[in-house]
Amino acid sequence: MRGIFRKIIREVWVGTLLFGIAFLLVEILLNLILPLLLEQMGDMLDRLPFIRDFLGALLGVDVEGEISAQIMQAFVWVHPVVLTLLWAQEIFFCTRFPVGEIDRGTIDVLLGLPVSRRKVYVCETIGWLTSGLIILSFGAVGYLIGSRGMDVEARPEFGFILLVLLNLFCVYIAVGGLAYLVSSLCDRRSRAVSIVFSLVLGSFLINFLARFWPPAEPFAFLSVLDYYQPAQVLKAGAIPMGDVAALLVMGTVSWIIGGEIIARRNICTT
Amino acid sequence: MSVITTREITKRYGSRIGVDRISLDVPEGSIFGFLGPNGAGKTTAIRLMLGFLRPTEGKASIFGLDCWKQSHLIKREVGYVPGDMRLYPWLTVRRALRIARGVRREDMTRRGLTLADRFHIDPDLVVRKMSRGMRQKLGLILALAHEPKLLVLDEPSSGLDPLMQESLSTLLRERAGQGCTVFFSSHTLSEVEQLCDRVAIVRAGRIVSDEALDDLRQRARRELVIRFATAGDAQRIEPPAFFRLISREGDRWTGELDGEAGRLCQWMSGLPIRDFTIGLPDLNTIFRAHYQEHDGGAD
Repeated sequence: MRGIFRKIIREVWVGTLLFGIAFLLVEILLNLILPLLLEQMGDMLDRLPFIRDFLGALLGVDVEGEISAQIMQAFVWVHPVVLTLLWAQEIFFCTRFPVGEIDRGTIDVLLGLPVSRRKVYVCETIGWLTSGLIILSFGAVGYLIGSRGMDVEARPEFGFILLVLLNLFCVYIAVGGLAYLVSSLCDRRSRAVSIVFSLVLGSFLINFLARFWPPAEPFAFLSVLDYYQPAQVLKAGAIPMGDVAALLVMGTVSWIIGGEIIARRNICTT
Repeated sequence: MSVITTREITKRYGSRIGVDRISLDVPEGSIFGFLGPNGAGKTTAIRLMLGFLRPTEGKASIFGLDCWKQSHLIKREVGYVPGDMRLYPWLTVRRALRIARGVRREDMTRRGLTLADRFHIDPDLVVRKMSRGMRQKLGLILALAHEPKLLVLDEPSSGLDPLMQESLSTLLRERAGQGCTVFFSSHTLSEVEQLCDRVAIVRAGRIVSDEALDDLRQRARRELVIRFATAGDAQRIEPPAFFRLISREGDRWTGELDGEAGRLCQWMSGLPIRDFTIGLPDLNTIFRAHYQEHDGGAD
């Protein structure tokens, strides 16, 4: 296992670090602009009422009346840039094995070593989850730095933020599991990346459509964002167990199927 | 004892056949040539043996272990050089040895660096700066450094210059002398001819010949030129069945001898012959014949 971990670290540390730094900067920036956003929010909601639905879709909560500063804190964890960074990192990571290795032909050397496909898969998964934790930690540090200028009353407890991060990590697991499943079925990395990206984008759009267009509402459960509700978490101060369980089941089932496919599939590099 | 055993192993991709009922026995300590043109099924057969592909039918085993189910166990004692050597761009000999050490739980750095020295490759040079031949050398070092009991080499000399090819042949002979079995796939007859003890010829996914190289040599034709005492003798005498006469000019016959030279000597002993020259066994003709036969060719 040590040799495989050594290889994984060699390949991903730069990417993980860059994504982490980007996440940190985005969190700092969002936390800095949040008070300005809050000041203009009342005006904006009066002039453009559809923003209420837009925010509701993003925050995972029905936005009625005045929006509290604490609920708006959820905004920094659901901003599209935050989600894009997180998903881009894991799509990059989870399509490395097996499809990335098959596509560039290096799998012959990798599996020429006395290591089973399942073992490589488990090592890759450990690497992926660790990189996710690292990136979320960067985000948490960014939040801590960025929110220092905010009123203490407006700032939610850090424990609540950790619960949001836990919910976000479950989203990370669901999307990563799906990416591994797609990766196990493809021979070209570009195709795998396109498929996962389309699914994630589709998931994002369904979540919005369900808010604005009633016929799309019954399909909202297909979106991972339907199970990610940071505003609810901040409001209640408790983890939404049902959503977390749904995300974990989604990720784990996809991951297990992906692993079985990898263990049984033919590997052709030409 | 056979190190590699395959029984009726078949790989189909839909309606296309990759390999068709291949049965092989590769004896321990031998250098086994696996000869065939591009697209004949050599690489598919190797990938079945190493567990990259699952056979549609048949069974393959190495060291008595199932090639599909136990491939990771088999690879403890196998060194493999793929036909199309593609490596991580950041890899160096030293890093590759470190990774292999972590997986194999065996320090092979010293042996690997000795091989790097033998192949004239800088152990700290990264793959992205290497030529094709250098990458091939790095692959060979990775395959050889742990001193495996079986080497599976898929066209290993591609990209190597003639001197390095010779060096590789010497190394493989050394390893075979120490008891290592070498499975050597190639489309170049001369390479197999000078290195292997036994050769299987593969065509369109099937084994069309599998025999010891010495037996093959005995069957191979050789160029033969005979000079008779007079032109009249050359015109009058009839050629024997084992000699294919190509031309009769003056006092000279030019043709091809089938098989060993013993019976030729016997036949010549009572005839007015002034001189003769005989060439080396030409395996190329056998190799070609196998292909022409199966293509329904003229010869």
